[in-house]
Amino acid sequence: MARIVACYKWVIDESDIKVNPDLSINLQNSKGKISDYDKNAIEAAVNAAELLEGKPVGLTFGNSKCKASLKDALSRGLEEAYFINSEKADKADGRVTAAALATAIQEMGEVDLVVCAEGASDTYARQTAPRLGACLDLPVISSVNSFTIEGKTLTAIRKLDDCLETVKVELPAIIAVLPEINHPPIPGLKAVMNAGKKKMVEFAEADLKVDLNPKNQVLDLQAYVMERKNIVFADGELTEQVKNLVIALKKEGVI
Amino acid sequence: MSETEKFDAIIIGAGPAGIACAYTLAKAGKEVLVIERADNPGGKNLTGGRLYTYALEMLEEGLSEEAALERKVTHEQIMILSEGRGTTIDYFDSGFSPYEGPPQSYTVLRARFDEWLAGKAEEVGANIVCGIRVDDVIEEAGKIKGIIAGDDEIYSDIVIAADGVNSFIAQRAGLIPDIPASSVGVGVKEIIQLDTSVIEERFHLQDGEGAARMILGCTEGLHGGGFLYTNIDTISLGLVLMPEEVAAAGKPVAELFQEFKNHPAIYPLIAGGSTVEYGAHLVSEDGYHGLPKKLYREGLLLVGDAAGFVINSGYSIRGIDLAILSGIAAANGICASSDIAKAGPQYIKEMEKLNLLPTLKAASGYRDLLNIPRIYSNYPYLANDFLGNLFTVNGEVAAPMKKSLKALLKKHNISFWQLFKDGLRGYRAL
Repeated sequence: MARIVACYKWVIDESDIKVNPDLSINLQNSKGKISDYDKNAIEAAVNAAELLEGKPVGLTFGNSKCKASLKDALSRGLEEAYFINSEKADKADGRVTAAALATAIQEMGEVDLVVCAEGASDTYARQTAPRLGACLDLPVISSVNSFTIEGKTLTAIRKLDDCLETVKVELPAIIAVLPEINHPPIPGLKAVMNAGKKKMVEFAEADLKVDLNPKNQVLDLQAYVMERKNIVFADGELTEQVKNLVIALKKEGVI
Repeated sequence: MSETEKFDAIIIGAGPAGIACAYTLAKAGKEVLVIERADNPGGKNLTGGRLYTYALEMLEEGLSEEAALERKVTHEQIMILSEGRGTTIDYFDSGFSPYEGPPQSYTVLRARFDEWLAGKAEEVGANIVCGIRVDDVIEEAGKIKGIIAGDDEIYSDIVIAADGVNSFIAQRAGLIPDIPASSVGVGVKEIIQLDTSVIEERFHLQDGEGAARMILGCTEGLHGGGFLYTNIDTISLGLVLMPEEVAAAGKPVAELFQEFKNHPAIYPLIAGGSTVEYGAHLVSEDGYHGLPKKLYREGLLLVGDAAGFVINSGYSIRGIDLAILSGIAAANGICASSDIAKAGPQYIKEMEKLNLLPTLKAASGYRDLLNIPRIYSNYPYLANDFLGNLFTVNGEVAAPMKKSLKALLKKHNISFWQLFKDGLRGYRAL
């Protein structure tokens, strides 16, 4: 049976992020969630599995708290969930994340399609899909706005800056989907209840024999304040106000 | 569970009542499903902020020791406000515990507490599903047989409505009508963050101690009152008002609340704090008088706020402990009935056994007392005026107290006859 893997990331819920007066970040009472864009990826994988008459599975790489995501992911139509449990996920760069996911995908056996979101809702680095392609030696289609599958051929429409591009690829392949590709439904009661009974597989770092030490290191994390000039052009006639605005904008180098 | 299998019990709502019920049933080996509308247990809840520990101990001995609680209440306070003035009565007892065991009550933040309690129920085998709204009950041949959520129907021997005040499920099942506005108050509350040491200093608290304060005279004469609870590093400050009176007065609740916060006797308590949460919720006001005529029908039990179990005595408000007791009673009623049709009457018996209904009945007089409109303006203002006169030294010959009181009664439009009547009413209520 065809296997379709949806990769997803467990991120901090942005509504729980607090900024302290000294601009340090307070994550004390923060909760995690599946990255919003990855819900689109999961839904796309479930849809692709229907087209391929295959099995959609989920894969995530995160610290031990990420385990809480498995049931949520499984309630969204995935049939199995795989979880690479490592505290090193907190410091992972794109290379580490892709290496960890690729190794786990190889462990699963044959895979027909890997679906990622274009980027995660916390970093939006857009690294995972292309790097996974390099690790697994598979073709990658990014910025996928919609796709169809016939036989083993996937036809994707890519949404680029100023045009739509139609691309065809023979599976197995990797696609990175845009948020507008679908509207993931809220899971129903039975789907949530059954999620806990589905297969969950956990990989420890040691199982995967992959170097999870990042080459990029995060040294500091700080909030920033947008400094606004708050200039109000209220003097004189309207035409004069506009003139002054244009002068000020030119002075700033904006226009 | 296969598609055709059914649960022993489905509980709607993962608040204290629902979880206490789930916990007790799961421990007795029942297959229980709890369905919660919020993404987390406690996510849709709002409470003043105090839990009496005896109820938790009844659920399981020792539970209150590990519970996610805030501060043990050692200061019981009543505050009477009028414009620019205030009187506070502070009863202090460092080891306030009238029974052997943990302190009598703790302040509590529901988001933390409910999630913790739900975790305990899961540990003993209850299934808890969050983020799902129950749309209806399944009724067959006059009996409640299960629930409907979205496209899914799930069957169970019994359904427990623990979905809070203005219970949608109890309405669907025909046990309560759409509630009249006069039977509920609207509660608004802010959680204000301050340093632990600042809170302890402002309220004269030792490590881990807390204060619970009821506030009168802060509602511009409207039926209602304020409350304040000290948590570990936050203060819960709120107002409860009768919606009809607020509407008639034409002042938005938010405005009344801002004025309350800015009262010179309240402001110094919260100054420098930052509001980290705010919310509003309905509060049952009628206590024993407001209970539905029937608390069950075949296949359905009402517990907690859904059943209207709240006691407001004016000097304290109880709800969470009654919710927990009713959850336990419902579970015991179900376990004691070999024939599930008898679970309803058995539930009532269990509530009698746990003193729940007698407690509510004993407190039933408070409503009459609290329905005296003068409690919310004339009397608090009178009290402050009287004390004001008492402490006034201005070099003039002070009028005899008798005379000064008489003048004040006149000023506040209170006749001796009224005072006598209200006093009698108060005496009867107690």
